[in-house]
Amino acid sequence: MDNQHSPSHHQFWTLLSKKLAKEANPEELQELQFILLKNPDLHHQADMLAEMWQQEAKTNRLEDEAVYMRHIMKHKDEFFVEENNEDIHDVETATDENHGFFHSFFRSKRLTIFSFALFIMLVTGAIYLFTQKGNVDLVAEQAISSIVTKNGSRTKIVLPDGSQVWLNAGSNLDYNNSTFNKELREVSLNGEAYFDVTKNPEKPFIIHTKKMDIKVLGTVFNVRSYRDEKIAEASLIKGSIEVTLKDRKDQKIILKPNEKISISNEEPKTEKKPEKITSVKAAPARIPQFEVNDLKPNPTYNIIGEIAWTQNKLFFEDETLEDIGLMIERWFGKKVTIANESLKNVHYTGNFENETLEEVLLSLKLSKSFNFRIGNDNVVIY
Amino acid sequence: MKRLEDISLLGERIANDDQLAYRQLFIHFYNNLFRFVMGFTRSKELTEEIVSDVFINVWRRRKSIEEIKNLKLYLYVSAKNITFNYLKKLHRENLADLDAVEIEPEDPFSDPGAAMITREMNSKLRTAINSLPPRCKLIFKLIKEDGLTYKETAQLLNISESTVDNQLSIALKKIGGAIRFIFRHN
Repeated sequence: MDNQHSPSHHQFWTLLSKKLAKEANPEELQELQFILLKNPDLHHQADMLAEMWQQEAKTNRLEDEAVYMRHIMKHKDEFFVEENNEDIHDVETATDENHGFFHSFFRSKRLTIFSFALFIMLVTGAIYLFTQKGNVDLVAEQAISSIVTKNGSRTKIVLPDGSQVWLNAGSNLDYNNSTFNKELREVSLNGEAYFDVTKNPEKPFIIHTKKMDIKVLGTVFNVRSYRDEKIAEASLIKGSIEVTLKDRKDQKIILKPNEKISISNEEPKTEKKPEKITSVKAAPARIPQFEVNDLKPNPTYNIIGEIAWTQNKLFFEDETLEDIGLMIERWFGKKVTIANESLKNVHYTGNFENETLEEVLLSLKLSKSFNFRIGNDNVVIY
Repeated sequence: MKRLEDISLLGERIANDDQLAYRQLFIHFYNNLFRFVMGFTRSKELTEEIVSDVFINVWRRRKSIEEIKNLKLYLYVSAKNITFNYLKKLHRENLADLDAVEIEPEDPFSDPGAAMITREMNSKLRTAINSLPPRCKLIFKLIKEDGLTYKETAQLLNISESTVDNQLSIALKKIGGAIRFIFRHN
């Protein structure tokens, strides 16, 4: 090693640089090999530097999304357009197939709503009644804001207190305009949403779902509570949240960052008519089962499954085709039927971002085969 | 950061008003552009504003996006120009200098455990990278982290390709030297 400054050493660093930067031609690569053969002591450094070179930067997708939101909001005139309320109901997800529509929307500059290809229906000012006797005071008329996403579309909203909510497909989030942010910040959720709650210890933020209430002071987390799914979950990214199960109000469960709570979403008896989420009656005798687990990124894809959807990823890890069917139904907005019972319990793992429905199914089929047929508004797997 | 193979495809989609493609472009380049600009401005707020300007310009000009041959290089050049304009407006031209730039490189190993790297080695590497001269560190960042080619780096910084070549080998030699030290003492 005493000849660190010799010409061949100087040449070594130049060649190694070129190799790592993918700028080296075949002769240069060969020359580098030759120098390494003559100087085995350089191997270690070359290997370590190559290893370091391959490291990918740590990314914080959540922060990136937040910055993107700020960017869009700052230039909202270029991305949003005004729209009359009557037409909003027919707005659907803009996909490649309806570019024309998307296009004309921009040209007309009449869009109200956020539109990174995801649309929402905003029904503000609708009058609802809270009709249950239980825990919520009966107020005659209240202005409820209800944000609804259809299957196949997702959206992001900013609540009056500045908290941000990403609402996944097939979900709705309600809050009372006149009381929200007065003493409490209360919302009701059916479906799945990712919350980034503005910190305000004086006004706790409470999310009511069918099976649990979640109280937060300021934090980032994901709640999944679809009425048609067996399990409801809350996953905490940062901060802390306090979960109260509807069926055992005396017990509070505190989640720490990177933990999730899963609880059974099933009723002792089958429900006949759909109830408003806030109207679920307190404490039947049955005790729901729940468990708290750590959130772990999937080692292959390096994403946390619970929040993959906020990054526009359709991700599932070792889930049954039956559950995946429900996810696909919401993601693509087509009714999924599994006609062959034996397929329902087959497990799959997958990660999709821009793939079409057909590509997703073809890809799943590769690991364990099935047949499928895609119709205009439905999919049959058999 | 992974190379975005189909960046020109993204450009085409953006030209067709595709906001999903725009979002992808934004998320892909934001961080690296941010750290590039931050090296000159040293202000987070100003940097966020500048990078936001870079992207909104792309959106405003999306109809003529295909005239841009190298969209990636365009983003960097545009970031540099906007930055230098801001600095001029703020009478801080002294910061628009490659020999004064303060780049904060990423951790050499984001997950040392997984790569079987000792904490000590990771910190030696970080120290070595941090003590590179400003211009050298900037070139190292642009090539390693941002994946620019020698040619793109040279165009962006208005220097010759052989300077880029030279500076990068100086950087690797210094960083390699730090590892050799540890290796011999183990």
